[in-house]
Amino acid sequence: MPNLSTVFSEVGYAHFLVLGAVLFAIGVGGVLLRRNALIIMMSIELMLNAGNLTILTFARMHGDLGGHSFAMIVMAVAAAEVAVGLAIVVAIFRGRRHVDVDRMNLLKH
Amino acid sequence: MNFATGDALYIAPILILALAGLLLVLAEAFYTGKDRTALAGLAVAGGVAAAVASIALYRHLDPGQHRYLYGEMLVADRTGYALSALLSVVIALAALVAPAHMRAHDWAIGEYFGILLLAGTGMLMLAHASHLATVFLGVETMSIGVYVMTALRRRSRRGNEAAMKYFLMGAFATGFLLYGMALVYGATGTTSLVAVRERLASGNLALLTVGTFLMVAAFAFKVAAVPFHMWAPDAYEGAPTPVTAFMAAAVKVAAVAAMIRVFGQFLGGEKLPYGTLGWASPMVVLAAITITVGNIAAIRQDNVKRMLAYSSISHGGVLLVGLCAMGLGSPSGQSALVYYLIAYALTTMGAFAVVSYVGSKQNERLGIDDWAGLASKHPAAALAMTVCLLSLGGMPPTGGFFAKWYVFKSAMDAQDQQLLWVTIIGVVNSAVSIFYYLKLVTAMYFKDATGEFTPSRSAGLTFTMALCAVVVLAMGLFPTTWLGFGG
Repeated sequence: MPNLSTVFSEVGYAHFLVLGAVLFAIGVGGVLLRRNALIIMMSIELMLNAGNLTILTFARMHGDLGGHSFAMIVMAVAAAEVAVGLAIVVAIFRGRRHVDVDRMNLLKH
Repeated sequence: MNFATGDALYIAPILILALAGLLLVLAEAFYTGKDRTALAGLAVAGGVAAAVASIALYRHLDPGQHRYLYGEMLVADRTGYALSALLSVVIALAALVAPAHMRAHDWAIGEYFGILLLAGTGMLMLAHASHLATVFLGVETMSIGVYVMTALRRRSRRGNEAAMKYFLMGAFATGFLLYGMALVYGATGTTSLVAVRERLASGNLALLTVGTFLMVAAFAFKVAAVPFHMWAPDAYEGAPTPVTAFMAAAVKVAAVAAMIRVFGQFLGGEKLPYGTLGWASPMVVLAAITITVGNIAAIRQDNVKRMLAYSSISHGGVLLVGLCAMGLGSPSGQSALVYYLIAYALTTMGAFAVVSYVGSKQNERLGIDDWAGLASKHPAAALAMTVCLLSLGGMPPTGGFFAKWYVFKSAMDAQDQQLLWVTIIGVVNSAVSIFYYLKLVTAMYFKDATGEFTPSRSAGLTFTMALCAVVVLAMGLFPTTWLGFGG
């Protein structure tokens, strides 16, 4: 049985990049398939985190600090975005008692 | 990274807007008076001051000169300041038209002005961005602000719905933008677009191509290009009219400004193998579908705001044609785009100002039939609307005509087969679009009024309508002067 340190030494950049790509795909799938606004927001967060993970992996690969600071900016921005998004979800819920995007059809031509 | 001491001077317009925006947010919190529309004064002052600073800096720089600020985070050049000045003016006008609409429809919410200026800060950042981080930060500062502005009327179910749709689509696009940036960063190992441009040739082609495509898709959401446009008509219709005006005019200008930077200046140029093979081809296709679908959908609309929304989608398509021309090495592409943006932004602002003016208390009068007979009752407003509609339709002697002329001419200059086809599609569509613009003009001039007009008057609205109509005409009469602003 291999000990813990050898298992971790075999985890390379490629694993993180693939994890990032898979997370991004799950996020896109979630946005397209789920109809609950909250789940869609969670999926969008997954996409942003996939982007961040990829940026950080590349930053380590290239030995570049710019990527690390970019990831910090992204985290701050994502938090601000979620705050606004949740406020909109709450406003919607107060008016309609549901947050199902398929049933939001007041605005149609 | 060491910063030159003079850098802060070059971002004066951004600082002015940020400072005025923060002041307004504070003023809103501590304001005890009854009429919150009084805050508009400070917002207009902030916008005008930023515009003046932009113009001063524009004159300070020589044509073609550029200076990188804060370690290549931002770039100061004439194009950037021309767009900054335009955006600042649009921000000031958006603050100017709001009070009348707020009073007529009972939504005097002071946050509007603060958020307007803070969102504007992001827009100005986009006009000067030369770094992936500033592009991302600019896009998000702008978008988050505009989501809030769309949702301002909390009790309006339509407003909420518009905000929800806009937010979900916009945040989805942000995901694409970030992942695309991550891949471009992976291929080149740098977040500075200036350095990205230098390393394009040596970067991993697969990562670069996928990354650029994701960024094209993300920006296509932001400029509402078909098939990423579904949010736009709903958001435009559901948002309060001054917010719609701001969204249609300023957000599109800022998004295209970012695209000029990212695709036109840093990822473009015909020498790059994937500059011609990569993003330009899908963007040409996007442009062709956007122009056509936007126009066809606009014909069917009987709501003025929705009609203008689809018209704005169609205009986004023409802007994409200009971007392709620029990316494929057309020398006149950039100045044509800046001219188009100035004409488009002021025309749209003017048109929505008239929409806001026509709406009476508690009744927005958005149906085309509601506009019947406007010319006999309020000839000046009808005339301003006609000038704006003719400009949107690309009829001489308005700015809209020369805008389309210059963009299509620059597309021809690029000497590219695909641009030839998209230009033909664009010209045919311009002719088609006259139909639905004239539908509104006919209603205003040749039909009898069905009810009494009780427009929401204000000096700010009158000024905006007059200014936009006059500038749009001036752009058509002296096009070469305005064309020079593109640098």
